Amino acid sequence: MTDWIFHTARDFELHGIERHRSLVRENGLAASVARLCWWCGLRVVLPLWLQLRVTGREHLPTKPPFVLIANHTSHLDALILASLLRAAWRDQVFPVAASDTFFEKRLSAAFADWFLNALAIRRCCARTHDLDEMRRKLTTGEAIFILFPEGSRSRTGELQAFHSGIGRLVAQTNVPVLSCHLDGCFRALPPGRWLCKPRRISVKIGPPLRFDDCPNNRSGWDTIAAQLRGEVKRLSNRA
Amino acid sequence: MNAVIAERFFGYSHAFAHPLTCGVVAFLGAALVITPLIFLVLRRTGNVADATYTELWVRWRSWIWISIALVVPILLGAAWVIMGVGVLSLLCYREFARATGIFREKMISVAVAVSLLLISFAVIDNYLRLFFATAVLGIALIAVVTIPQDRPEGFIQRVALGMMGYLFFGYSFGYLALMTTDPLYRPLLLLLLLGVELNDIFAYCSGRLCGGPKLVPRTSPGKTCAGAIGAVVLTTAMVLILGHFVLFPGTLMDRWPMLLILGAGMSIFGQFGDLLLSSIKRDIGVKDIGNLLPGHGGLLDRFDSLVIVTPLYYHFLSLVLGPLGHGQAERIITNMISP
Repeated sequence: MTDWIFHTARDFELHGIERHRSLVRENGLAASVARLCWWCGLRVVLPLWLQLRVTGREHLPTKPPFVLIANHTSHLDALILASLLRAAWRDQVFPVAASDTFFEKRLSAAFADWFLNALAIRRCCARTHDLDEMRRKLTTGEAIFILFPEGSRSRTGELQAFHSGIGRLVAQTNVPVLSCHLDGCFRALPPGRWLCKPRRISVKIGPPLRFDDCPNNRSGWDTIAAQLRGEVKRLSNRA
Repeated sequence: MNAVIAERFFGYSHAFAHPLTCGVVAFLGAALVITPLIFLVLRRTGNVADATYTELWVRWRSWIWISIALVVPILLGAAWVIMGVGVLSLLCYREFARATGIFREKMISVAVAVSLLLISFAVIDNYLRLFFATAVLGIALIAVVTIPQDRPEGFIQRVALGMMGYLFFGYSFGYLALMTTDPLYRPLLLLLLLGVELNDIFAYCSGRLCGGPKLVPRTSPGKTCAGAIGAVVLTTAMVLILGHFVLFPGTLMDRWPMLLILGAGMSIFGQFGDLLLSSIKRDIGVKDIGNLLPGHGGLLDRFDSLVIVTPLYYHFLSLVLGPLGHGQAERIITNMISP
């Protein structure tokens, strides 16, 4: 007979906002149903409101784990990218969100947890064991990350410098990283606005890159960040 | 829906028709007002440490919410009790599932939720045979839902955990709702809840007063034999008095052996329910199973005593008095489909 395989929830001792913020958070049926409703609703509403044009959809892997990275100009970015993925993956897709924006107030933290499945990360000073936990999720778990290496929304719409955290997650792993470029989100919902204007938005998804031969150290991480930034830049210039 | 059924489901105007209902509500109100005064006196005389004092207030505040959540639906009518029991079962199953890890099996959770809905339906419909069948139907559903996934590894474990959670916190708590099929459900439910909750308090107090040998030290280090015996004596006495003078005068229950069995049974199996959850927690290695009730822990830490008592209480009363709810309109909804 199989050895005992069930274990207490990893976030069992955590409560309230601490639990929403935790990277080891585990949800059950209720959150899964909430996400199903949210993503299905979004999949209907987004194309009605925005004119979405997606190219490179064929690059999306058929199964987790993988990482989507993109330029960041708007709250729409993560929603649009997540809505391109299968609804069946809703509990595995983790948009990585800034702790200070989404996880300060109880209500927004609960929303980010229950509906978006967002992971809280401190943008200024991500702790090593947080990054280790995220790396563990990618390598052992079946996780899909939606990540914005710029660290915050661009206030001008231009591509900013990339943080090297993305390198720490994927260096020396076989996890594919897909660069994406979103155009039009800045015009539809720039930072500081709350009303989304109906605009044409184009999403370009690049081919998957792997970094299994890239050293897992500072220079390796910087190389990865630079390479991915170049890739996003290349996508943005492509017609 | 005729007037009798409507009265049972929503008739709050006769909430205080039975003296036991008035008595229990008055007692609860008085207890919740007097306990803070006792805290203050203890504080003045310097008998409690600061930490204990804060802890007492936290517990008292939780007790207020517990009392409101238990008593208000009972006073408002059967519909609210059935809904409340459904929510209680779901939350208790959730705590159990997160502690054991069965929450990761989402299809099992779906099966449990569907079975809980079936229980509520059987009670609303007043369809006794369907209610008793939900035990088998529920575990059958839990057993079959994960078969199409074709993952035989861990099958026994997930089905066993799912069945255990469902039978204890779904089916067993369902009897609380089932009691609303009787016109006298308010005093019957209040006697059960009062008896079981006071049983815990009696055990705690007599244990603290007498001390002595431990009951099952490895399962629950705080409980003593003196506490267990004290609880049996005090709870039985309370049920004897309330049963003889208020709830059952002139009925077949109004005989001392019957009241004795009822009181002692409530106390003994209430304590077994308590120890059942202690055993689960010890096995998992957690102290509290949740944090919904500050000072108490999870919902299950408070309602564990009801797990075994509730079905026994229902069936013992049905055995002696005849089926509870007898003479009420049966199969209210299903009758319309197939009379």
